[in-house]
Amino acid sequence: MIFGWIRIPCTRAHRLLSERLDSAIAPADRWRLRLHLLVCDMCSRFERQIDLMRVAIRKLGE
Amino acid sequence: MEPATLEGSLAALRPTLLAIARMQLRNEAWAEDVVSETLVAALEGARTFAGQSQLKTWVIGILKHKIIDQFRRARREVSTEAQMEAAQVETFDELFAADGHRLPGPLDWGDPEESLSRTQFFDVLQMCMDKLPAGLARIFMMREWLEYETSEICKELGITSTNCFVMLFRARMRLRECLEMNWFASAVKS
Repeated sequence: MIFGWIRIPCTRAHRLLSERLDSAIAPADRWRLRLHLLVCDMCSRFERQIDLMRVAIRKLGE
Repeated sequence: MEPATLEGSLAALRPTLLAIARMQLRNEAWAEDVVSETLVAALEGARTFAGQSQLKTWVIGILKHKIIDQFRRARREVSTEAQMEAAQVETFDELFAADGHRLPGPLDWGDPEESLSRTQFFDVLQMCMDKLPAGLARIFMMREWLEYETSEICKELGITSTNCFVMLFRARMRLRECLEMNWFASAVKS
């Protein structure tokens, strides 16, 4: 079943969202993540929050 | 720029520089040293600073270089601490259900731009960074503030890239939690 292959739990989505900020992730993981984010509000929030933390740290000293 | 004016402006920048250096280095003596070196370099280089950029931006650029130098000087100590931190296991199990679903947790942070425009937000950020173990704080700041590539961090600290990703993840999880509790969830933002 394609969905079994492509579905990931939030634990994995969280780690991939973080890893994506630090390096390129595998194409298959990009798809898994994209589909997960479409249906998961909590992980979507987490995504926006870690992006914001990055912006905040880069603003230090400005 | 008149020297007297420059000295005054640099003195006014000192507390900011020191706060950033402490966050990044997590060592009081190192922070004091790099800030002194930065101020001396700024005074000596004043002639090359022709006002193309803001003084603060220019000085922070010098500070970044001095911090990188300090990491090189203290390489052994910094990498030992990073390796000890890399050996820690943190699962964040309490945030996820047994099937891996995220338990309701992350709050809606509203308009983040608004937070970034407030000085107090940066005080909370600093407090939350202080709560991270030194090894996590350093690697996180290396990545996010010094903007090192992950591969460079691994090389500098002598840790594997997997360890590196895991440590950055742990730092983000803890920092997120702390910011949410102490800033985004609190009504006392004014």
